[in-house]
Amino acid sequence: MGQLRQPRRRLLHVEGLKPGQRWYIGYLYLLPGLLIYGLFVFLPILDTFRYSLFRWDGISQPVFTGLGNYAALIHDPTFLTALFNNAVFIFFYTVLPILLALLLTGLMTRRPLPGMTFFRAGLFVPQVMSMVVVGVVWRWILNPVNGPLNQLLKALGLGAWAKAWLGDFTWALPAVGGIGTWVEYGFCMVLFIAGVQRIEPTLYDAARIDGANAYQEFRYVTLPGLRSELVVAIITTLIAALRVFDLVFVTTRGGPGTRTLVMAFHIWRNAFVVNNVGYAAAVAVVLTVLILTVSVAVLTVQERLTREE
Amino acid sequence: MNTQIWKIFGLLVTALLLATCAPTAQPTAQPTTAPTEPPKAEAVTLTVWDQFQRDTEKAVIDTLNAEFEAAHPGVTIARVVKSFDDLKVTIKLALSDPNGPDVGQVNQGADMRAVVQGNLLLDLTPYLPKYQWDKRFSAGILARNSFTADGSQFGTGNLYGVSPTAEVVGVYYNKEKFQQLGLSVPKTFAEFEALLAKAKEAGETPIVFGNLDQWPGIHIFSAIQHILLPDRTWLDNFVYGQGNVSFDIPENVQAAAKVQEWVKAGYFTDGFAGIGYDDSWKLFAGGQGVMMITGSWLSGDIVSTGGEKFGFFLLPPLEEGGKVLAIGGVGLPFCIRAGTKNADLAAEYLDWMVSSRAGELWLEKGVLPAVPVDKSKVPTGTLLGDIVTAYGVINEADGVGHYIDWAGPTMYDVLSASIQELMAMQITPEGFVAKVQAEYAK
Repeated sequence: MGQLRQPRRRLLHVEGLKPGQRWYIGYLYLLPGLLIYGLFVFLPILDTFRYSLFRWDGISQPVFTGLGNYAALIHDPTFLTALFNNAVFIFFYTVLPILLALLLTGLMTRRPLPGMTFFRAGLFVPQVMSMVVVGVVWRWILNPVNGPLNQLLKALGLGAWAKAWLGDFTWALPAVGGIGTWVEYGFCMVLFIAGVQRIEPTLYDAARIDGANAYQEFRYVTLPGLRSELVVAIITTLIAALRVFDLVFVTTRGGPGTRTLVMAFHIWRNAFVVNNVGYAAAVAVVLTVLILTVSVAVLTVQERLTREE
Repeated sequence: MNTQIWKIFGLLVTALLLATCAPTAQPTAQPTTAPTEPPKAEAVTLTVWDQFQRDTEKAVIDTLNAEFEAAHPGVTIARVVKSFDDLKVTIKLALSDPNGPDVGQVNQGADMRAVVQGNLLLDLTPYLPKYQWDKRFSAGILARNSFTADGSQFGTGNLYGVSPTAEVVGVYYNKEKFQQLGLSVPKTFAEFEALLAKAKEAGETPIVFGNLDQWPGIHIFSAIQHILLPDRTWLDNFVYGQGNVSFDIPENVQAAAKVQEWVKAGYFTDGFAGIGYDDSWKLFAGGQGVMMITGSWLSGDIVSTGGEKFGFFLLPPLEEGGKVLAIGGVGLPFCIRAGTKNADLAAEYLDWMVSSRAGELWLEKGVLPAVPVDKSKVPTGTLLGDIVTAYGVINEADGVGHYIDWAGPTMYDVLSASIQELMAMQITPEGFVAKVQAEYAK
């Protein structure tokens, strides 16, 4: 530790400077990355905001409408449905995977088991796969006629539970959300396992000497030690839940009716299918603001908790 | 010290400038070399975007392209194949690109309106005298690829595309099952419904159907709607946006109620809401179920999986020998990008794609061509024979109906979503009609 903290030889010889002078040198280093970031991320975002102030079909002359698109948004039942569905996706993308991952982490880290690496790798596989592949595979699994899930249910005598999962007005959203859970929990789990390995083993020893049981060990040693990993997991999965598109596109296209319609899908339809680019841009801006707000909120809470310690 | 910083900074800036310059340098280099060569020997590449991605369709286009290249020395066709969904979304942007495709397939209706309004398509009317497409296609067929120059009126004005294939939506049936169950091709709509009941009683799936992809449901509803309408007036007005018509008419409520009745009676594949279209027709082609209501575009694929087992008939009229009207039309037309440098060559290509040679190739592969073909070449008693006959019937009687989702840019969305709701009993027939009308009125 101590060795790393030692000041390293500086690449640029700037000892002659007084404090506060040449403050811009740091920015010079940032410049290349900043230029690329500005060109390919920041400018398009600004452009999207500009589009959102126009009524535009993507081809002909745009007509300036001010905040008209945003006003229309509030009264658009489809947008509100999409917003609600995204909220449900947060449960399936964030809450459920993190709970599952915590449980698995508790199970996997307590005692070394044979074949542990195999399980760990296996549970992580969904995260590595492309979402389109995941969607296609699950569309097949959930196929009501010859999909394995319904076949299994029927074989177990639970034929009454067999459903047209992705086309059912009640079950489509949980079904698509469940696929999301399946994808996200492996990522959370790997994150948490890495975090646990960082926790001082002496803390566990101390807890055991004090007579802590498995739950107490988890609650008072593991969980507090995983705080920063939890924040990363929450932010990443929240963003994934808010911007979900590929999975919905491949499995249900927002159907049945509008049961699985999400904001990103609403943006895509308006921008590229219905030729309502200005309106799509407005939805995109709202989505961006939402993601930023949620991320900042989570980070703020984490900072406050750290300061309280 | 200072110089070192500036050296590094300078290096970075040059590197960045080089990086940003590189892509733009290529296109400028091309024109400088091109004019130095004699125009005769100049190799021309015609870029074509199409959506003929199914194996049988693909083979026809590849053959025609190869023959076109052979007949036009120096011409290379750069073919870009996309799925319908993919093409529908990307073609508009591609056409607005100055280096975009020379020829592309544009979905009729709202999509074509948008690109016509953007002045992105070449008006083909000047080529009519040379290629006489108006002799090859009936006026009603050309109307589907026509708009006024400002894109305001659909179905009239300039011609913007020619379609290689035709389509008709009807009923595919499994001949073996018909024989087993003692069924025969119905002559009236009531007879057809009796067929459904009989097949259901025998423990069969009367209509193979999958609506996970949302659009097949539109065809079920609209096929019935076409039968119930007294004539084609309302349909033309609704789709072309004329005469201030409403979707809220008794026939549409009745058609929607009929759809729900069939769902309740269990006439569709169990779990249809969760089955994709491709999965559904593969089930049917594999021998499941008795009938399937869909378009002639499937005939090629069904023929390739054992076509002699299947037949095709039009959904029958209310009374025997009554009015003939069925969903149908021509497939996606080939269009020319307004800014292309190879307009004449592109027009030649379009003509090639709707030649009688093309028609024969399509027929060989079991696909209904839009151009008139020698009907004697179609064997009777086959699936394709049935389809060509059916198309002939509606074509002669001016009974080629419409895809109702052409009526406006958001019509596909509202129809596909609300028909899913209708078929899941989430809304009433009246509620469905009102919902579609509310969107149509916008």
